[in-house]
Amino acid sequence: MLLVLSEDHKEHLSFLPNVDAAVVGEFGRIALEFLRRGSSPKIYEGAARKLCVPVEMVQHGVEGLMYLMTESSKHMISEVDFLDSVLVLGFGEELNQILLQLYLQHHSQIRSILSQLPSHLPAYHNLEWRLDVQLASRPIRQQVVPMLTMRLLMTGGGDSGDLSRRVLQTDPSTLLHLISTLEAALAAIKTNHARRIFRNIK
Amino acid sequence: MRFRFCGDLDCPDWVLAEISTLAKISSVKMKLLCAQVLKDLLGDGIDYDKVTKLTADAKFESGDIKASVAVLSFIFSSAAKHDVDSESLSSELQQLGLPKEHTTGLCKSYEDKHSALQCKLRETSLRLGRLEAVSWRVDYTLSSSELREVNEPMIQFKLQAQGAESGSTETTVVSVSADKFRVLLAELKQAQTRMNALQ
Repeated sequence: MLLVLSEDHKEHLSFLPNVDAAVVGEFGRIALEFLRRGSSPKIYEGAARKLCVPVEMVQHGVEGLMYLMTESSKHMISEVDFLDSVLVLGFGEELNQILLQLYLQHHSQIRSILSQLPSHLPAYHNLEWRLDVQLASRPIRQQVVPMLTMRLLMTGGGDSGDLSRRVLQTDPSTLLHLISTLEAALAAIKTNHARRIFRNIK
Repeated sequence: MRFRFCGDLDCPDWVLAEISTLAKISSVKMKLLCAQVLKDLLGDGIDYDKVTKLTADAKFESGDIKASVAVLSFIFSSAAKHDVDSESLSSELQQLGLPKEHTTGLCKSYEDKHSALQCKLRETSLRLGRLEAVSWRVDYTLSSSELREVNEPMIQFKLQAQGAESGSTETTVVSVSADKFRVLLAELKQAQTRMNALQ
């Protein structure tokens, strides 16, 4: 598929042919650092001073480059499609090749960064449990009540690294029911229907 | 094949794989490595530099070092969890392919630290809302806005406990009148008698 670049985007990128190849490479590096860690205005000011151009032009050029890279990585476009999309900008052959190299080198890294962006549901981290027997309580003595107390630790949905905890308590019959339900869920992976679907996903 | 040290279940595949990695170092170094892993399990921390030096002869990469520490941790904690004696552990490990000298060294270290390990595991077992501190104060109320002469003793309790869900310290302040406090004390004494009867 071809990327369709908006007019603003083309205008921002039109700055690139006016500088030499090494500078484009440097901009590429800044763009990738932006993706990883965010940008700082000092970098743009330094570059602008060296090239004697206004700061906004440098900033737009870097941001335009970054947007081009993320859109290409997002859709996983092939080399040919990338070159065709970039042809629209009317750059020289050498510049197109530099942009292509930049894309090929970094697209898997960009995809892994992008995959961390959407927030996910809490996921299982650990389950601690204890088995107790209640022998007496204030209103009634001489009891025998077995209880299973559990603490479920989950990696928090959205926040990375924060563990959320839930305390749960159950009696033996509910526990057996819980175990049989979970085993039925595991067995569902082995049905023919599920196997057919797994075979068709690469 | 069921193994007692795995809780009468099959031995996990990764443990089988890493036992062959363990066989690569000499049995003397293995005993020192066991000592380091046991130190870590007992909460004293592990000295990674020493571990790297011990495994340097066998040219372990960082993945191999982590794997051997992990498999030794698993063997020790799982054997302590299921209260396996060292002869059974020794025969089961030899069945899995660990050479005899290594097994002997491992089981000797296990036997030495067996009760200390179980003690540590007992401490780290799940406990909700551990009581950390109790402080109290007895006040005597002389007078209030409602009644001019009150003349009543009052106890203020401050209980610091670990929150059941949050795990951080939570403080509860309660004030108890003399009668209510007598009831509380009587009930707690009854509970204490029951607990002592179980010891």
